[in-house]
Amino acid sequence: MIETWYAILSFMLVMFIVLEGFDIGAGMLQHIVGKTEAERRLVIAAIGPLWSWHEVWLVSFGGVLFVAFPTILASAFAGFYLAFFLLLWSLILRGISLEVSGHIAEPMWRTAWNFIFVASNLLLAILIGAALGNVVRGVPLNADGKFSLAFFTNFSPYGNVGILDWFTVSVAVFMLVTFAAHGANALILKTEGPVHDRSLRLARRLWKIVLLLLAIITFETWRVRPELFSGMSPKPIAWIGLVFVIVGAVAIFTGLHGKRELRAVIGSSLFITGLMIAGAASVFPIMLHSTLAPENSLSAYQNAAAGHGLVIALVWWPIAFILAVGYALFIYRYYIGKVKAAEDNQNPY
Amino acid sequence: MADTIFWSRLQFGFTITYHYLFPQLTMGLAWIIVYFKWKHLRTGDETFGNAARFWARIFGINFAVGVVTGIPMEFQFGTNWAAFSKFSGNIIGQTLAMEGMFAFFLESALIGAVVWGEKRLGPRNHFLATVGVALGSWLSGYFILTTNAFMQHPVGYSTAADGSLRLGSFSSFLLNPWAMILFLHNQCAALITGSFVVTAVGALYALRGKFAEQASLFLKTGTLVGLISCALVAFPTGDQQAKMVAKHQPVSLAAMEGHFHGGTNVELNFIGQPNVSAERIDNRIYMPYALSFLAFGHLHAKVQGLDDFPKDEWPTNIELLYYAFHVMAGLGTIFILLMVLANFQRWRGRLEKSRGLLWALMLAFPFPYIATTAGWMTAELGRQPWIIFHILRTGQGVSDVVSGGNVLFTLIGFTGLYFVLGVLFLFLVAREIAHGPQSISANGKLEVSHD
Repeated sequence: MIETWYAILSFMLVMFIVLEGFDIGAGMLQHIVGKTEAERRLVIAAIGPLWSWHEVWLVSFGGVLFVAFPTILASAFAGFYLAFFLLLWSLILRGISLEVSGHIAEPMWRTAWNFIFVASNLLLAILIGAALGNVVRGVPLNADGKFSLAFFTNFSPYGNVGILDWFTVSVAVFMLVTFAAHGANALILKTEGPVHDRSLRLARRLWKIVLLLLAIITFETWRVRPELFSGMSPKPIAWIGLVFVIVGAVAIFTGLHGKRELRAVIGSSLFITGLMIAGAASVFPIMLHSTLAPENSLSAYQNAAAGHGLVIALVWWPIAFILAVGYALFIYRYYIGKVKAAEDNQNPY
Repeated sequence: MADTIFWSRLQFGFTITYHYLFPQLTMGLAWIIVYFKWKHLRTGDETFGNAARFWARIFGINFAVGVVTGIPMEFQFGTNWAAFSKFSGNIIGQTLAMEGMFAFFLESALIGAVVWGEKRLGPRNHFLATVGVALGSWLSGYFILTTNAFMQHPVGYSTAADGSLRLGSFSSFLLNPWAMILFLHNQCAALITGSFVVTAVGALYALRGKFAEQASLFLKTGTLVGLISCALVAFPTGDQQAKMVAKHQPVSLAAMEGHFHGGTNVELNFIGQPNVSAERIDNRIYMPYALSFLAFGHLHAKVQGLDDFPKDEWPTNIELLYYAFHVMAGLGTIFILLMVLANFQRWRGRLEKSRGLLWALMLAFPFPYIATTAGWMTAELGRQPWIIFHILRTGQGVSDVVSGGNVLFTLIGFTGLYFVLGVLFLFLVAREIAHGPQSISANGKLEVSHD
């Protein structure tokens, strides 16, 4: 039961990172791939009407964490207090800029909202990356299972850590570049013309940097949490994750150089999914690792919700999941294919 | 420690009050748009089509602000109220997760298409998408109100060995009688907000002599929905809600009413200022026997006063609670009178010529927002000093690792951000209202082609 809920939560987080990753990545490249206002609007149109559906995976992840591991939620949300609000404010600014920039076709209005859109996407990528880095590195949990993270302490990933240190910053940079490359793949698939060509050139370069950075953070992870590697061998799921990463990488490079746009997008989704699976499987069952003392770590087994609540949730969750995917498919079939015209449909008067 | 509690309460109160300004219109307006779209689908009359598109544009702006201000609410349970989340997460986690899984996915998938995708989806599926968003918004309302109902009137739980709560009966938790009444009362209030806003825009256009067809349609639909929902919000839903409070939270009822000394044949205070230290209402105007009757159904019923309860169980801000309740009830009464008058004039065919009444209807639209906010303040202040009534005190629910300074930092951030959002919202909605319900083709709407 606990393994199932850990898997469901991991799945929801993967859905969020992969789907929202398209939007975040495409969004932060808006000014690089779009040189004219029409091209920049094309990037927004490519993100499409389902961006908020992508974002709901994060909100629902929070809800399911609540129902399955309330103790972990209580510890983590309070511990990451300031970082959480930065994330929430970035989500607010990004959502608003996406929705309102199209309302008025006036250059200053567009410039201002485009700037907020790009900046909030960059910040989101860094914050999500830093958050993942923090989960891998661990947090300064005390014996009561609580912690409170400062933004930074002495930038060392050992002992009394802060949110940012050389390890988590490395992961943040890695995720920033990965989101950008992932978003570029989506733009290649969804656009034509100059935006498409710039995205393609950019993606070919970015994915090489991603592989280089992956090698670096793998080495760093081995320095910070060597036990994750030694603990991986008996976990077949972690190896499946690695297979995904390799297959994904091959698909990306053959896709980008063979003009197989869909293959590249599937490849980058597999690549990110594989990394997340490998990460989630190798830290399991520890959901929050303590950098102060290993015995303070919070394990899924000791902190899952008790009673029959999890059984009940296991009945309604699959129903809700099928419905959720159904709604998205109902809408998505109207938006398949490339966005073509230079103007989007947000009715400027 | 004390200041963490204070700032966390202020932050939650501020962010939830601000957030709820938007969903109340969403939930009310959604069904009015569904009605316009249904008429358009059936008759092909573009008056309805343009009306639906006009309100869908305003709905879209409103929805966007509602969504972005709503995301911090769920997360604040964990960030600011970690002890509460840990204590009761086994139960309220169910509804919070179900809200995301059942309601948010539905709304978020369809909203973009509802606002921008009419041509692409075609009339029938666009209508279905609109119904989906309306259903999603009400479903979301039910789940979050069930969560609140558990805090007001906890049912369906058991206590675990470590003292925390555990789900006892899922069905009694989900079908909490408090949640049922609260949902009906709250949704009627949302329909009031929606109908008053539609009416106000109709009155504006009628007074300015613009968009005559839509002005007439908005006035007709708005005042009719307004009359029905104003009647239902008072009776039976408001009445049942009050009886529920009288039965399960008698101390809250006493404080709401400024009823300091218990007794029989209890009067209902209309106006007056609570003087808590002297335990009386100053300058009061009241109706004899009315509270006994309203709370328990007969004139001589005994109603407990605040002095029947230990002081540490009194709501912590009796003055504000008293005013919140009286503002809600007073405005609700005025709404009924206004809507009866408007419908009477409409029945006589004179509404669009009654300029004084049109002015009143136009200027009335902020008051449902005030009444709804006051109603929620009544519910939430009335529950104090408990975060879960008679189980967990508010001070015990706070995140003890978060300093007051950190909470004030984020509160200041929210204040600034929400001020900007508010200005932006008013600007964009005012633009839509100034532009009016004109047909799309008339102003050359541009579209991305996806073929």
